[in-house]
Amino acid sequence: MITKKYLNITILFIFFFLLGVIPISAKIDMGGELAASLINIVDNEGQISTYLQAGLDLELFLPSFDNTQAKFEMYFFNNYISGGFDYLIKKLYLKHKFEKLHLTVGRQPISWSFGSMLNPFDFSLGAVVMEEETGVKYQDAIEGHVPLNWNSSVSVVAAFPENSQNIKWGLRGRTVIEGYDLTLNYIQEPEMEIIGTIIPASKRIGFTGKGDLGPLGIYGTVGYYFKDNNNADLAYLIGGDYSHFFEAGNKVYLQLEYLSMKKGNLSSILGPFFSGNITNNSDEDVGLLLGLANYEIDEFSQISLITVSSLNDKSMIIMPGYRSQLSNNLSFDLDTAVCFGKDSTLFGPGLSEGIPKKPKAIIEAGFTYTF
Amino acid sequence: MMRKFKWFLLIGIIMLILFFSLIAIAAAEMTAEEIINKRDDNEYITSFKAEAEMIIVSGGRRITKAMLILSDKKNALVEFTNPQDRGTKFLKREDNLWMFFPDAEEIIKISGHMLKQGMMGSDFSYQDIMESDKLTDLYNFEIIREDEIEGRICYVLEGIAKEGVKVSYYRRISWVDKERFVGLKEELYAQSGRILKETRINEIKEIEGRWIPVDSAMENKLRKNTYTEFKITEVDFNPEISEGTFALQSLR
Repeated sequence: MITKKYLNITILFIFFFLLGVIPISAKIDMGGELAASLINIVDNEGQISTYLQAGLDLELFLPSFDNTQAKFEMYFFNNYISGGFDYLIKKLYLKHKFEKLHLTVGRQPISWSFGSMLNPFDFSLGAVVMEEETGVKYQDAIEGHVPLNWNSSVSVVAAFPENSQNIKWGLRGRTVIEGYDLTLNYIQEPEMEIIGTIIPASKRIGFTGKGDLGPLGIYGTVGYYFKDNNNADLAYLIGGDYSHFFEAGNKVYLQLEYLSMKKGNLSSILGPFFSGNITNNSDEDVGLLLGLANYEIDEFSQISLITVSSLNDKSMIIMPGYRSQLSNNLSFDLDTAVCFGKDSTLFGPGLSEGIPKKPKAIIEAGFTYTF
Repeated sequence: MMRKFKWFLLIGIIMLILFFSLIAIAAAEMTAEEIINKRDDNEYITSFKAEAEMIIVSGGRRITKAMLILSDKKNALVEFTNPQDRGTKFLKREDNLWMFFPDAEEIIKISGHMLKQGMMGSDFSYQDIMESDKLTDLYNFEIIREDEIEGRICYVLEGIAKEGVKVSYYRRISWVDKERFVGLKEELYAQSGRILKETRINEIKEIEGRWIPVDSAMENKLRKNTYTEFKITEVDFNPEISEGTFALQSLR
């Protein structure tokens, strides 16, 4: 599409134009983070492969003027599978706040998260908990945001996915009633081609809510996937969170949620890494139970445990983690993921027919420097 | 004649002594509410804009977080500016808290129980930083004694949370400078009677005719060797706050 083809060129042009017109005295700053980690992948036979992963996230902080804001953020990384270097433009957009409309044009993150670990009615699907959102949230798009009052708004998004010639549409309404944050999301996706596979056009509509019930935080979503094949689906998610102080002053944060949807629709949420065993019985209803426990050892260190389990086939993935803030700018992270389950199960490391083998475990340890 | 003058002089002196004694008695008889109100007159600000730093100290490690705070009577907007948290924003509207995550540019409502948690890993809770109610609206105070802190005489007051009012700490004991009516120390207790935190003021400045604590340290009494220092580096009282500032769209 012509619109799509010239969108980034136009934004890039405007961006450099803006750099030119901003007076030299204006404060332009650069920041970001440099991360390096060692990834160890343990396969089903117990063999370990080790890779070095490095990434540099660079963001240019430009002063906003006349209600106009420009953002530019790029991510450079080594692709440990191909061995080469790659980059991702995360943000390259212009936002202008008109009196009754906030218009954003260019590469921008579009996220409709509401606090759950999985969100089946996000604009771009991808599990935050599994860090699958990294790339999919950033879209070439035009967003119109209309604030109605301090807590209510309507947003319209027209995005131009890389793997489709057609426009992806999104419409979101948001309001707060009696302390509950409520949204209504509608997404219309065009037919897409991903690694040679045609993914048919689809629509989904979902209602989300988040608020408090006594000492508990509660949330949920319910909605419908409209699909021409057998994967039309009523999906829902319910969850809650709670935090508790121990006598010694340490804090534990707990989050638990349950997602019910058709197996065929899970692949887009769990991402390609976990979708290997999804193709069998794709119209089967699946119940996923997710748990998160986070324990603060002290002000700077915490351990966490995330579990995702399929109640249908009893497979499970367990992700323990440790994070320590070593200084103002330096942190250390240790993340692991271990898969449990029989062959052909959702999270099991075993082989399914015609599907590449999945690792038994991943251990990643690395440092991040922010500047 | 001389004798008469001496008598007048004596009576005059006695009357002066009586007068000043009465003033002193009147001052000494200030009620707890009057003292806290005078403290609120100093420290309670209807609206302000401030640049501040939070220095979290635990063991041998120190982490500094910088922020901009904009607050009015009921609402607050906080934006972090240090490299690690740059762009992270919080909006507090009465008892509700929203957080803006700069990477994905998403706004998420934070569960109510998180308001009592340490803000960004510090010993100050979200409520400590963003609570904007007058103390007399939240607690019933009474004077329990007088004490001295670093050479300054203080009223020591005990505040118990009013019934039906949501507060972070059930009981607080405050040391209020008798001369400047500014809090110099505070102990914060749970309903069980256990001490949770202690705040000490390191520096007070007179700004626009008010005594304001610009450097304070909060110690988490449940943990060892840990405290958070909160420094106000710049403050502007009653700034112009445009309509729609304390709104979700201003986080984006």
